[in-house]
Amino acid sequence: MASAPSLSTAQPPTAVSLRNRCTLPPLPSHRIRPSSSSSSLSSRLPTLRSVPIVSRCAVRAALSTVDRSATPVESGDKKLLLEVKDLTAVVAETGQEILKSVNLAIYEGEVHAVMGKNGSGKSTFAKVLVGHPDYEVTGGSMMYRGENLLDMEPEERSLAGLFMSFQSPVEIPGVSNADFLNMAYNARRRKLNQPELSPIEFWAYVYPKLDLLNMKADFLNRNVNEGFSGGERKRNEILQLAVLGAELSILDEIDSGLDVDALRDVAKAVNGFLTPKNSVLMITHYLRLLEFIEPSYIHVMENGKIVKTGDISIAKTLEKEGFKAISEM
Amino acid sequence: MAALAFPRHIHTAPKPSFFNNKPKTKLRTRISVQSSLTPPQLGFSDPFVLELAEALEDSLPSPSSSKLSPLEKIRDVSSETLLSTPWPSRKDEPFRFTDTSFIKNSKICPVSRPPPQSLEAPLASPEDTQLLHLAIVDGHIVDSSSNMSGLPDGVYVGSLSNATSESLVKRVGEFVCGFDWGDLFWSINGVGAPDLAVVYVPAGCRVENAVHLRYYSVEASDVGSNKLPVSNPRVFVVVEKGGEVDIVEEFMGGDPNRCYWANPVLEVVVGEGGKVRHSYVQNQSPCAAHIKWTSVRQDAESSYQLVEVSSGGKLSRHNLHVQQLGPDTVTELSTLHLAFNEQTQDLHSRLVLDYPRGSSRQLHKCIVANSQGQAVFDGNVKVNRYAQQTDAGQLTRSLLLEPRATVNVKPNLQIIADDVKCSHGAAISDLEESQLFYFQARGIDLKTARKALVFSFGAEVVSQLPDASVQKKVENQIRELLDPQ
Repeated sequence: MASAPSLSTAQPPTAVSLRNRCTLPPLPSHRIRPSSSSSSLSSRLPTLRSVPIVSRCAVRAALSTVDRSATPVESGDKKLLLEVKDLTAVVAETGQEILKSVNLAIYEGEVHAVMGKNGSGKSTFAKVLVGHPDYEVTGGSMMYRGENLLDMEPEERSLAGLFMSFQSPVEIPGVSNADFLNMAYNARRRKLNQPELSPIEFWAYVYPKLDLLNMKADFLNRNVNEGFSGGERKRNEILQLAVLGAELSILDEIDSGLDVDALRDVAKAVNGFLTPKNSVLMITHYLRLLEFIEPSYIHVMENGKIVKTGDISIAKTLEKEGFKAISEM
Repeated sequence: MAALAFPRHIHTAPKPSFFNNKPKTKLRTRISVQSSLTPPQLGFSDPFVLELAEALEDSLPSPSSSKLSPLEKIRDVSSETLLSTPWPSRKDEPFRFTDTSFIKNSKICPVSRPPPQSLEAPLASPEDTQLLHLAIVDGHIVDSSSNMSGLPDGVYVGSLSNATSESLVKRVGEFVCGFDWGDLFWSINGVGAPDLAVVYVPAGCRVENAVHLRYYSVEASDVGSNKLPVSNPRVFVVVEKGGEVDIVEEFMGGDPNRCYWANPVLEVVVGEGGKVRHSYVQNQSPCAAHIKWTSVRQDAESSYQLVEVSSGGKLSRHNLHVQQLGPDTVTELSTLHLAFNEQTQDLHSRLVLDYPRGSSRQLHKCIVANSQGQAVFDGNVKVNRYAQQTDAGQLTRSLLLEPRATVNVKPNLQIIADDVKCSHGAAISDLEESQLFYFQARGIDLKTARKALVFSFGAEVVSQLPDASVQKKVENQIRELLDPQ
């Protein structure tokens, strides 16, 4: 069903009943964003998915501040990219349950942000999506463009268009950044039945991408993440995203350890990839990042579940009053 | 002062100085006397070793000149020690993990034919012949296959027997028998070496281009014949005060079905302030036995750097001994052993420091990628009483990639001096899962990722090979091992 999703079939039945219960009036034209982004924002689907019933009305209310009157809602035309249902996962080694029924749906062109306390399961969720071996999925489903992610190896998920930027990427001594990127890029070219690029051809392809992130060329000659500062590691992750491309970028705390300038560079690069087809799932603790990359939705995760979904105002409440305020809402 | 520590298996005390070179008065007939298979007087000659010594002796022409040449001096001293050294068993500590029965159970026959005066084309590729290189075939120096053009004045590379300079022969003669730490294989080489190649660098001379020593084993038997032709190449490098040279040793295997035993010895003497960079690439046939000795003596303020990559041979062992002869020496040893077949790769290294302010760095890495493969490392660093303010570091890392792949590592420091900085470490692991996942998360499949990581593990050593062409060649060899056709 998810391979050709329309709004009516893609949504769980509960959403329908919810809609009946709290019918929303057309939203007032109250802009909370610069006009330049309002059209893309307004085209994003503001419907409620994968949120526990109790919180849905509140979320709906929060969303009402978003300007949707500029263009009619086009949610029906958009394709469902990722649909996560009742996902549960444990730490493979200890069996400790981290994810306790996560529900989320991401459509093409949407930017989602997941916030939450330390240990709430945000990063685990990101890692489970890309198949990290430290975690084991014990229940639920993860469908990506109608394909079951659980049946796919990590590299297949990557080639299918999923990209996760690591919170703390590992060092790989002895493998240069250029070789690593070339290998990864050629794996993509093979998948698309395109000829692989030689190191020299690849250099020509990758070189302009460095500018995008204000990176020096010698970056490519250094070994992957070896001796990189925190900021360099984050930039390197985004460089990989720029080189490889992705339909769904999962950015795990891409803002932690970055100074304002670096954050601006990284955000600029991420915004550069945003198209009506590409989606982003960001994990962050801070409002700051969300001011650079504007999310369509903000999800609050707590104890392995998404407990609240809303717009930027959630992040603002969080920033001011902490997670306690959200829990009490 | 060098006589602070006596190794158990050596019967003579180490001499305090390598300048101690009083001519021996032993007669050359010693071997033939002993080889009559009567029980030797000392009572512990090994009949197997005696037989081998006799065969080696017979394979060489009798000395032509009446004067004792350095090579004959080596033969004399070696035959003497050979008679008192039994074939090593697993009960001997230096051979505890290294089974030499593959050699012992074969029918060992010394290479008898002198090699062809020109080598067949496939042995050396055309671009290689441009390099400064000496071809050593079955222990014989083959001038017609060598290229020694463009050497600076006073530098000599070639057979000692062809050397015209009296003083050079005399100088080499002063050094040849100054090493007392050898084992049976050292002595076998000394008895069986048909020729002595010499690299001589006079004082203050810097040799720009690396000197390549190419070793070939032409005489070989087929798999299953149980015959093992043995050759004993011997090279002596003397770098006088302030001299500098790069030595590249390459052991070529050729056809993978050829069985032979290469038993080479390289001796290096680095004078005061001298510099030697030594690259050693061992790519013998997978059916071959390869037992190599490298003995280095370093005078004050000299520097010796070794980069080794060994991947060939069924049984391969490198005995490396570095002896300090003065203060302020620098020693860097980086070695990579690859056991991708059913084979043993062994490094026994010993670094003896007797003078102050020596600095040494040793990195040994091995990769065992075969369930019948084995790597052995015994790395000994002796910091004796007068070696104050020594800075010695030793690290060994091993990758075991298959179930039952084996590694035996024994890094050991023996410190008597009390004002030193020494460190050592050993790590044995499979590939890091987090690193593999990083590749996968970027769309690279597990097999490719593993190969890239194994390659990068070795790159730490390979990248230190000073000669770019050698480095490239070694990288290609490793790629072939990772991706057999």
